[in-house]
Amino acid sequence: MQLVLSWPVRLFVVGVLILSLFVDGAGYVYRIANHYPLTGQVPGLPPNFGGWQLYFHKGLDLAGGTHIDYQLTNFPAGQNRADVQQRTIQVINKRVNALNVSEPEIRGAGTNNDRITVDLAGVTADQAQKTIGAVSKLTYTKWVKDDKVQAGPQPGYKPALTGLTGDDISSATATIDQNGTSWVVNVQFTSAGASKFDNLTRDAVAACPGAGQDCPQRHLTIWLDFTQKDIDNWEDPSYVAKLSTRYDPGCLAAQGPDTVCGKFLTDPTTVEEIAGGQAQISGQFTQQSAQDLATGINSGSLPVDLVALDVTQVSATLGAESVKLSIAAGLLGLAIVVLFMIVYYRVPGFLASLALLFYAGAVLAVFKLVPVTLTLAGITGFILSVGMAVDANVLIFERFKEEVRAGRTITAAVDAAVRRAWPAIRDSNTSTIITCVILGFVGPSAVKGFAITLAIGVFASLVSSIIVTHNLLAIVMAGGSFRRAGLLGVDRVRTV
Amino acid sequence: MSELSDVRAEQQAADIEPDGAPQAKVAPDLAPTPRPPRRLNIIGRRNWFFALSLIVIVPGIVSMATRHFALGIDFAGGTELTATFPNHPSLAQVQAAVDAEGVNGSVISTGGDGYIIRYPPLSATQLTNIQADLKNRLGPTNVQQILTVGGTIAGETIALSLLAVVLASVAILLLLAVRFRNVPGGWRAGFQFGGSALAALLHDVFILTGIFSILGAVLHLRIGEIDAFFVSAVLTVVGFSVHDTIVVFDRIRENLRVSQRLSFEQVVNLSIMQTAARSIITSFTVVLVLTAILIAGGSTLQGLALALLIGIVSGTYSSIFNAAPLLVVWRRVQPLR
Repeated sequence: MQLVLSWPVRLFVVGVLILSLFVDGAGYVYRIANHYPLTGQVPGLPPNFGGWQLYFHKGLDLAGGTHIDYQLTNFPAGQNRADVQQRTIQVINKRVNALNVSEPEIRGAGTNNDRITVDLAGVTADQAQKTIGAVSKLTYTKWVKDDKVQAGPQPGYKPALTGLTGDDISSATATIDQNGTSWVVNVQFTSAGASKFDNLTRDAVAACPGAGQDCPQRHLTIWLDFTQKDIDNWEDPSYVAKLSTRYDPGCLAAQGPDTVCGKFLTDPTTVEEIAGGQAQISGQFTQQSAQDLATGINSGSLPVDLVALDVTQVSATLGAESVKLSIAAGLLGLAIVVLFMIVYYRVPGFLASLALLFYAGAVLAVFKLVPVTLTLAGITGFILSVGMAVDANVLIFERFKEEVRAGRTITAAVDAAVRRAWPAIRDSNTSTIITCVILGFVGPSAVKGFAITLAIGVFASLVSSIIVTHNLLAIVMAGGSFRRAGLLGVDRVRTV
Repeated sequence: MSELSDVRAEQQAADIEPDGAPQAKVAPDLAPTPRPPRRLNIIGRRNWFFALSLIVIVPGIVSMATRHFALGIDFAGGTELTATFPNHPSLAQVQAAVDAEGVNGSVISTGGDGYIIRYPPLSATQLTNIQADLKNRLGPTNVQQILTVGGTIAGETIALSLLAVVLASVAILLLLAVRFRNVPGGWRAGFQFGGSALAALLHDVFILTGIFSILGAVLHLRIGEIDAFFVSAVLTVVGFSVHDTIVVFDRIRENLRVSQRLSFEQVVNLSIMQTAARSIITSFTVVLVLTAILIAGGSTLQGLALALLIGIVSGTYSSIFNAAPLLVVWRRVQPLR
């Protein structure tokens, strides 16, 4: 126990205290001065270490938003499941970007790489599911003669479905062409896609034979989400004009029955028949636009089917209400415990309350630093740990009374109390931490936040109640003025 | 245990002399009223305390076996829509509107304009249609929360929860066996301590689950519905219930070492009396915090707070009146030394 009372330990405690105060207070002056909201992410919030900001990360049940667990089904045969899962996550990320969500969280889960969880703040379940589940399918069309068509990209012609879609593409990559001068996108078809593409290009070239020739039939146009209904409306010039603008993921995601969105991707000319299942899309690409297109083609269709297992949508008002209620509950709980400790244990109780405040400050700092995403269950775990944090103090103080009664001096009693209470404190807290670890690993996902905050809380409380309270007691008892029975909550005090 | 090696044996022995004065002084911890004329004999009346526990546990088990639980959305699966209607429709009006949708929805009033509407699992499209329909029939709708849980997740949550309880129980049994193998009797004694603590722990789990089964499935109260929060509560009780038990057992270990003259039963009873006050106080601080959550924490957390409250009160009772007496019974059945 000499170690606990040594100066290095005291310096450590003071260091933790200063760091906690710094972390807890970080950003609030800036927020108030600039009229930003007091919680959540704020651009340029100081202290800003390379984009790493200090603020409480609120879970969806507090911030409002949508959480979805997806089950992945129909895995493509012969591919690594982890890769497929990663690709699916990339596709979802790409689609979700259109919603402008701050900090979207899309994570792989499941023992067999067969789950993906999606957390989107400030988005309704409806929007989220439409955006993610939208079948952005790449479609190739050829052009057939129709005299009724007066306008559009190819006057006198309308598109026709070719049966070649994004499902027939196995991969697309952006690269520099053979001459090393411009960016192109290489497309690799599946074997079925390769033969379809071979037939299409042969027909296209046959429509107006000869090298360097160009006619509408030579164009194989690529669209996203293109349907037969779009072709049926081809005689409506305004419809076609809208449809032929560059594809708009945001519009496609929120598409109602009557909205018309841009679906046009690219309109390459067939130069020659292409067999072997490889095609090159050239155009005036920059590196960025070529990569975007490659990603676009790859993300055009998900490699798997998504089935929503559970969907949670929480409104921002309910979240704000929950935050208010849990802060109220936390403060009330803290106040009651402090009051009880001071009334029942007097000076030691007051010191334990100081340690409790230190504890709460340190734990909140850890939440900000890690950062731990705080959910309603997580906050409850923290509040609960406030009640448990004084347990070790109670055990020590009761033992202290006992030692004083047995006739020890104050100093000896404090030392003996801490020493003898320690095994029970250690074992009981170990059991709680073990439970939290088990809950954190095998528990249902909804309760993991609870387990994490409770574990952090129990661990920090151990430090605060053993080290901080003991040091405060030793310091206060070094002066003689508190060695009175009434102040220590004991029957009598041996003064020698 | 180096912590105990320098215990002043003569002083400790004086402390725990069965009829000596020092024990009587322990009582004022519990209540600063006049000293009780003699020590409570908890070990001697152990059958009464076992019976008291059974009076609560048996109806709970009967209820669990026959009526099971009222399952919340997390376990039952389905779609739950929490909303307020600023047009103040009555419960009957809301129920009528939901009935007219023809998808087997049921309505619960949460007070004020707030309602919870439960459906079988709905697809995204169905949900959109139903929200539009509610708007048509009941006017503006403030949707606060929508939960959809499919059967797969519900089944998994149950399986994972059970697994977590079993794993935690085994881990605690082993932890205690390791920690208490240094009492006279070695590993066998260690497992007696661990096993008794485990029994007290299961007692708490059964009390908690039993009472919730009665609240939910027999009395049909919404607070008795079990959900993922309830699982957290059970697991927390599993972890916390042994706190008090360990405090008693730790004292038994200490007293066994310093007093060779007392019988095992006397040592156990003495240890209970010496530690009862602190067991109650440590739980009391947690009870205070839980009461704060129950009062101020809003309806979402009330079920969790109630479950923890039941579990922690039961945990303190069982560590004083069940765990240590059980240890005595076990010693009689399987004597050591």
